[in-house]
Amino acid sequence: MKRMKNPILSAVLALVVVSVTTGGAAWARKPWEKIKIPALHEIRMPDYERVELDNGMVLYLAEDHELPLVNMRATIDVGSIYEPADKVGLAAMTGTVMRSGGTETHDGDEIDEMVEARGMSVETWIGQTDGGARVSALTEDTQLGLDLLADILRHPAFPEDKIKLAKEQQKASISRRNDDPMTIARREAMVAVFGKDHPLARYPEYATIAAVTRQDMIDFHDTWFHPDRMYMVVTGDFETAAMIDMIKSAFAGWEKATTPLPPDPEIPDLPRTVNIVDKDDLTQTTIIMGHKGIRADSPWYAGVMVGNRILGGGFATRLFNEIRSRQGLAYSVGSSPGTGFRYPGLFMAFCMTKSGTSQKAAEGVLAEIKRMTTEPVTQEELEQAKDGILNSEVFKFDTKEEILGRMVMFERYGYPADFLKQYQQQVRDMTVDQVLEACKEVWHPDRMTILAVGDYQDWDGDFSEFGPVNMVDITIPEPALEIPEATPESLARGKQLMEAAREAAGGKALFDGLKSYSSKSKLSATIQGMDLTFNIEKTVVYPDKAYSVQKTPFGTMTSVLAGDKGWASGPMGDKDLEGKDLEQAREELLTDTIGVFKNLDRFQCQALEPTKVEGVLCYPVHVSGVGDDYQIFFLNADTGRVYMVQSPGISPMTQAPVTQKVFVDDYMEADGFTMPASLRLTYDDELFGTITVQEFQANPKVDMALFTK
Amino acid sequence: MPLKNRLPAVLTVLIVMITAVGAMGRTYLDLEDQVHEFTLDNGVRFLVLEKHDVPVFSFRTFVNVGSANEVRGITGLSHILEHMAFKGTPEIGTTDYKAEQKAMAAEDAAFAAFKEIRLAIRPVRARYQQLLDRIPADQREAYDKLVSGSEVTPPDFTLGPEAKAALDYYNDEAKAMEDEYAARRQAFEDAKDAAREFVVTNEYGKIVENNGGQGMNASTSNDITQYFYNMPSNRLELWAYLEGSRMSHPVFREFYTEKDGPVTEERRMRTDNNPIGRLIEQFENLMFMANGYHHSTIGYMSDIQNVSRADCQAYFHRNYVGSNITVAVVGDVDYKDVRKYARKYFADIPAGHPEPVETFEPKQLGEKRFIMEDPSQPLYIAGYHIHNVRHPDWPVYEVIADVLGQGRTSRLYKNLIKDQKIAVNAMAMPGFPGQKYDTGLLVFAMPVKDKTAEDMEGAIDEQIRDIVDHGITAEELEAVKQRARASFIRGLDGNAGMASQLAWYQTFMGDWRELFREVDRIDAVTLDDVQRVAAEIFDVNNRTVAIIKTTDQES
Repeated sequence: MKRMKNPILSAVLALVVVSVTTGGAAWARKPWEKIKIPALHEIRMPDYERVELDNGMVLYLAEDHELPLVNMRATIDVGSIYEPADKVGLAAMTGTVMRSGGTETHDGDEIDEMVEARGMSVETWIGQTDGGARVSALTEDTQLGLDLLADILRHPAFPEDKIKLAKEQQKASISRRNDDPMTIARREAMVAVFGKDHPLARYPEYATIAAVTRQDMIDFHDTWFHPDRMYMVVTGDFETAAMIDMIKSAFAGWEKATTPLPPDPEIPDLPRTVNIVDKDDLTQTTIIMGHKGIRADSPWYAGVMVGNRILGGGFATRLFNEIRSRQGLAYSVGSSPGTGFRYPGLFMAFCMTKSGTSQKAAEGVLAEIKRMTTEPVTQEELEQAKDGILNSEVFKFDTKEEILGRMVMFERYGYPADFLKQYQQQVRDMTVDQVLEACKEVWHPDRMTILAVGDYQDWDGDFSEFGPVNMVDITIPEPALEIPEATPESLARGKQLMEAAREAAGGKALFDGLKSYSSKSKLSATIQGMDLTFNIEKTVVYPDKAYSVQKTPFGTMTSVLAGDKGWASGPMGDKDLEGKDLEQAREELLTDTIGVFKNLDRFQCQALEPTKVEGVLCYPVHVSGVGDDYQIFFLNADTGRVYMVQSPGISPMTQAPVTQKVFVDDYMEADGFTMPASLRLTYDDELFGTITVQEFQANPKVDMALFTK
Repeated sequence: MPLKNRLPAVLTVLIVMITAVGAMGRTYLDLEDQVHEFTLDNGVRFLVLEKHDVPVFSFRTFVNVGSANEVRGITGLSHILEHMAFKGTPEIGTTDYKAEQKAMAAEDAAFAAFKEIRLAIRPVRARYQQLLDRIPADQREAYDKLVSGSEVTPPDFTLGPEAKAALDYYNDEAKAMEDEYAARRQAFEDAKDAAREFVVTNEYGKIVENNGGQGMNASTSNDITQYFYNMPSNRLELWAYLEGSRMSHPVFREFYTEKDGPVTEERRMRTDNNPIGRLIEQFENLMFMANGYHHSTIGYMSDIQNVSRADCQAYFHRNYVGSNITVAVVGDVDYKDVRKYARKYFADIPAGHPEPVETFEPKQLGEKRFIMEDPSQPLYIAGYHIHNVRHPDWPVYEVIADVLGQGRTSRLYKNLIKDQKIAVNAMAMPGFPGQKYDTGLLVFAMPVKDKTAEDMEGAIDEQIRDIVDHGITAEELEAVKQRARASFIRGLDGNAGMASQLAWYQTFMGDWRELFREVDRIDAVTLDDVQRVAAEIFDVNNRTVAIIKTTDQES
């Protein structure tokens, strides 16, 4: 080319050459560039039909008689983005039970038999932003397949048995969600990027699964499943006109939705955070980094698609070449451009590398991204990326189902029918400067939130160079106990367990003989970043007197219960206990652990299913009957002693209702009793503080003057 | 389903088939006649099916070699070789092949020297570590400072006898060895850098992708290695050039970076950092004592480290020969063009007939159990020894596995998942970990929360016992046969799937036409066959059990 004199001619020739060969400069043709590439056979758009039925349902149909098969795919505007936050899992389970539970005319097991005996497949699902049903059948079973599809979509029965099954499956997948590092990384990366409560990031917990009822499923289905929210793609061995008639009659009488679709949740654009999941059984670190991207109708779409083809969307990209092939840091590395058709996508890069090169790999990936946003790509890279994109566009027309499915997507999200054509033209015309401009506009390596899972102490760096490090706790919150109806057996067993626990604490005689006690203990807690210590001295005289002094960093507080009176004094002044407060103080004497053991006969004790607490097998007993509240005593299966007591409580910080748990970490012997020596207090599974009991004295000499004002 | 309903159903199928043939002229029924087959002089076999709907084609190259061909010391090499097949040729991926060859030779020598010391230093390091561990804790910091030379020992400090012993060993033996180790390691790194100078990174893949190639990848199993992607159909000759040249003249450049980097990370990802991966590897180790399925395809970490480029070349020359290679091309191509380009670009592959690796697994004499204590959730796997895919009982294994554990009407699904609700997943499959050699029928189950692997075992055994004692029902057998028909028809859809099936049957069954006999083979299975074979394989002494027993996790 250097020999050529006429710049216009040379430019024209270069264009011709690029369009015939690929990826190389004309002056140094490599062997493979000499291979002739004939014109591509014409891409023929398949004959298809789009029909909108009276009830609003949109059909796309294309015949294909090569194989005696019919495929039907219904897509519905529904999704977990529409489920309430305290019932996460409702949408997914509704999608499952629609199929597994069957309909009002065919139960799920019957459908299983029909389908399996014919080699058919009938499936339903509800994902984050859509749901639907899919049937694949031999031609001979077309009518049956369509009838099942319509029946399942319109009249699901939601039987309790299959709801229970779906819940068990959900619970199992919650319990398994931390087994595989990639699963953890994907999940926590979404949380880090979108925020914990965002509908696209939240995931089910035992509590949200337990909260879902049959009625919720029925309501969810009734709300979202309507013909005017449904698109159906039918391909295969059928006659179009006949198929349309069959579909019309299968869905006749189905009513349109009465309310419009709610607006989509906003995608937040949060600043960078650095999040580490520390898991010490791993030798490899999984790193995901990302931030909010753009919708495909953004003017930067084609630019970042080309940019990503150069950065990390493929085999011979910068990330693959540098991080994998040259530095040998990873097997899995790459990026996605951050474009979405419905939502702004997520610009994301990922990498899995050994512990000792975690930070190096993260730095390497970020450096490549930064280079994309600060330096123009080379002309050669651009031409190759264009070739790659344009030459592979033919695969978007690979199957009829894919072509029609894309049309449905364009229609649902409001894209023009010639979107692909426009995109291809933009790619063809793309310049190096436009790529830089788009990447600069959309990609911000310094704002990418980072999530990494691995054995943190083995890493080559602590990631603090990327920003303040936030350690992510992925402990799975224990399921709330389900309290079944009490039976004579469970009550007898509960009483027996509690008596054994009382025996382990000293025995009935000792508790009966306990007329008074005094104790000294220390509570250490961290409140709003301050480490605080409270010294507590308490004297109790049964049945109705208690005196306690709390020495706090803010002053000393005293509270006294003296029969039917009570008062408190402290730095804020003096106050008489009245009404509910007084009642509560009296109740406490009965319902603290000593009170329960002293008055066991007054309580109803119901044994629940054995369960593990912090890995320790426990027998839980539901203790109630005195006051409005209940407590669940988790008795260590080995020792019979109290391992933990759970009860509804009030957060001392926020005054919000919480689940309070008191763990007994250590015991001591005192005056014949085996008493807790060290306790741990949590609110909603977050540690609040620890209590150390320094002294316990049974039946001490008590100065009764304490109880006079 | 009542028996009498079956006849009309079959009739309908026939009627539909006949009408379809009449109406369309060309359907799947004469697909068998449309497959073109030819073999090059070197033995490479081509299977071509023309489908002109869309101007694209798919191919599968099956090489009849997998990890079962490996012997101790080179485990994982089939898979490493698969990675190396993307590194280019003397023409692709280099700036100067001659100079690069010299640099690679130097790199090999540096690796050999480094490998030698890496093995030799192991006992020295172990001995020294032992001596270090004996030094009293309060002297350790001072000792480390002394040895590292970072601080002069305080005058009043005296080393105890343990520290003296360690220091003596360090000065007499360990230090010289460590220095030599560091030097050879550096020399190896330098040699790698020198060879890298000539590399055009991933040029091979870049050519494919820039030409619109899609879905480029490869995979290695215990039995075979396969390479595949899809191409716009006007790139047929380019494809033949690319595929033919890497099968005949691959250059294993970046060999050491690749195996120590991506291949090792792949092992970490699939096996070491994945609880099921960890379980499966040692399960295979235990189930197969003698035959090639003993070790996993990814290979042992130490073999991945120690294997050399020369090992890889020797393995390549032995196995990548004509009789071992089948190429299936399906799509918008002219069969005559494929033949023309095949002759032009695949002719350099040498002919050859490597001897098969045939260590037969001896009969198992008693049950084998492996209990892995792990923080992950429980899992139950049982493997029962069965024959290979060419054995006449293979279709019976498929029927048994289907009825026992495939689909929503299978025994395991109905009992463990639907009725008892103790499992989230329960399946059976024949042919694990491979099909080419005598292998295993795998049964596995994942319990729901708070159930254990042992709970799975009891429930599964009950279902298996029922099949052994009472066989399966006629309805169950008929449903399997109908599913086989439907799945055969579905399997014919799509270029890539079809290419894969043709290559698979050619490689595993010795003839691609066996694809079209699959339904007949299943059809021939009788209720008696099922009971006979079930009794034969479901014997406690014939099984290996592996379970994950969940250890208590830290809260």
